[in-house]
Amino acid sequence: MKNSKLLLVDDEEVFSSNMAKLLTSRGYRVATASGGEAALRQLIAAEFDVVVLDLKMPGMDGLATLREIKKRGLDTEILILTGHGEVDSALEATRLGAYDYLTKPCEVEELVAKIEGAWRKRNGARRDELLGRGEAAGPAPA
Amino acid sequence: MAAERGVAADRPAREAAVVEPADESQPLLSEREAKQRRAFYARLFRKFVLLTLLCALTPLMGVGGIFYLKYYDFALAKMTTAFRQQVENHQKIITLFLQERQARLRLAADTHDLAELAQPGNLRHLLKVLNQEGHAFADLGVVDDLGRHVAYVGPYDLLDKNYAATFWFREVMAQGIYISDMFLGFRKEPHFIMAVARREGERKWILRATMDTEVFRSLVENVYIGATGEVYLLNQEGQFQTSPRSGGRIMGPAPLKVPPPFEGIRVETRREAEGDQAIVGLTWLKEPRWLLVVRQSHAEAFRDAGETLFASLVFLALCALAITLATLLLTTHMVRHIRRRDAESDHLNAQLLQTGKLAAIGELSAGVAHEINNPLGIILTERQIILDLLDSRPLADQELEAQLLDSLLQIDIQVHRCKRITKNLLRFARRTQPMIEEIKLEQLLGELVELMEREAKSSGIKFVVDFARDLPPIKTDPSQLQQVFLNLINNSIDAHEGLPGGSITLATRFHPERGGVEVKVADTGCGIAPEHLARIFDPFFTTKPVGKGTGLGLSICFSIIKRLGGEVDVQSKPGKGTTFTLFFPCHPPADLLELSPTTGSV
Repeated sequence: MKNSKLLLVDDEEVFSSNMAKLLTSRGYRVATASGGEAALRQLIAAEFDVVVLDLKMPGMDGLATLREIKKRGLDTEILILTGHGEVDSALEATRLGAYDYLTKPCEVEELVAKIEGAWRKRNGARRDELLGRGEAAGPAPA
Repeated sequence: MAAERGVAADRPAREAAVVEPADESQPLLSEREAKQRRAFYARLFRKFVLLTLLCALTPLMGVGGIFYLKYYDFALAKMTTAFRQQVENHQKIITLFLQERQARLRLAADTHDLAELAQPGNLRHLLKVLNQEGHAFADLGVVDDLGRHVAYVGPYDLLDKNYAATFWFREVMAQGIYISDMFLGFRKEPHFIMAVARREGERKWILRATMDTEVFRSLVENVYIGATGEVYLLNQEGQFQTSPRSGGRIMGPAPLKVPPPFEGIRVETRREAEGDQAIVGLTWLKEPRWLLVVRQSHAEAFRDAGETLFASLVFLALCALAITLATLLLTTHMVRHIRRRDAESDHLNAQLLQTGKLAAIGELSAGVAHEINNPLGIILTERQIILDLLDSRPLADQELEAQLLDSLLQIDIQVHRCKRITKNLLRFARRTQPMIEEIKLEQLLGELVELMEREAKSSGIKFVVDFARDLPPIKTDPSQLQQVFLNLINNSIDAHEGLPGGSITLATRFHPERGGVEVKVADTGCGIAPEHLARIFDPFFTTKPVGKGTGLGLSICFSIIKRLGGEVDVQSKPGKGTTFTLFFPCHPPADLLELSPTTGSV
């Protein structure tokens, strides 16, 4: 959904700024963070629809960041975007509650498709919440 | 998946086997090591044989030796006793014989007086009476105290002989009784006499009888003890008094040294002239002083004992032979077993080494792949930015734009190529998570064959399938298994390059005892050179031209198989073909099941 608010977390700043540029031109509102701590600060300060999270980062890594987000109950969808080496960690992340994962290098359109999916999931859930339907009430409209 | 197995058809044909490295030192052991191993097994063999023989044969020989000595002593004692008995019996017989004759003569002398016997006819009558019970005396004479022959009856004309000067006359006059040794006398024939003296008033006279030599000699000489046993008599001078069967003339000298008179019986073993041994029993008669000799050849006397001992020795020798043979057989078997075990452990070590190598390469690959993926990601975003820019602001120069787009397309292609490479590397490092399912192997293989048949047909290669009917379903990761078999089949097809045709055989077998399934992939291709055989599972090992093979295929297969709890072996004959033998357990290892994730593969 255009106009969604995204947070790109990656220690490769060239990558995140490039990706931010591409996503912005596709109508998203994009912020970047170069590490786990910075990302958490931004997430506490403002609400984001989707966080695109790298796993391998100096300092607080992706999985730790993910756990922290879940622990604090921050309301956002998380999409893992990582190098091929951490497929196991990526799978672990999905188990911890991340929406899905993508491996680098990837086309921007692939990322966009996943972001859309994540957004729909989040908003579907929120709509259910607003309509007073529980999780168990039935399938969320796609 | 590219085929990695490199091949060279012009390699010298040579049996090569990874399975039996001890026989073919090349794959696992160097020439020197193999030589040392062989020397070690030879030493082991010798040591074990010597030790076993020492332990087994020493007691056997000891028991044999003790038995031999004891039995010999026992046999000797028995023999000696038996001999002593013989000597005693013969002594009794001869003594009795002589005593009885002596008693008859004494009785005759005591019951007649000289005058009576001097009358013709009376002496003849007396001889007749004396010889009534058994022929005892050959002649009979009466000699007066002056040595004159008063009367005589017998086959010789001896009446006018005077005996006053003879040794026996003096003896009998002094002792009252005399038995002579054998002598020739007037009649020139060996004989011996018995004489008794009788005092009649003032005068003494002598009744003298010549013993019937034949009767006496047959009494002594006709004794048979075995084939060589004999009995004879010697006088104190060592002259034969009877002729021994073993040779020797009566009155001739005996080869036996006569011992001085002794009491009782002696039994001894004597060495005789020819080097033979004889067992000899000796005893002295009292009257006359003759030495009774009972002699038998030692060999004969000991024949029974000897046979028993010989049989025992043969038995012992057979035992020793049997023990030796058994030891040799057992040791051969044992050393072969140890050798096989060693070969197996070498093989296992080689596999462990291989696994270790793979793990190290894997770790490295994962790091490299990740580091490359990041810049690749940036390149792709840069490309996208340029594309976006061109899209929003098209260039005036159409040709330039077309060229730029072309370049961007090329960047995309090359980035994806890099991505494929890193993906392969990573798959090698840690393959996509296994998905364990229960599958039917023949179905999986059947589908693969169907898939590959088309490709193989153009090369003239036929597929032969030989699936066991009793194959149970196995729990494994089908996609990884598929990857393994695809790789092997691809290699097999490549191995037929330049050949007019051939076949690829897929055979399955159930091994209930090992709890798994064996799959053989055999081709009739060009085979693998022995020097390459040990390296085919090494990562990045390839004999293909640059760009055709990455050298990862078989090492990926290897690590997949290992991870699925399986085993792989290869046998190859250059020019004949290659056979991969794979084994998969019906149930994968526990750690694999734990790892099995819920999400799909990458």
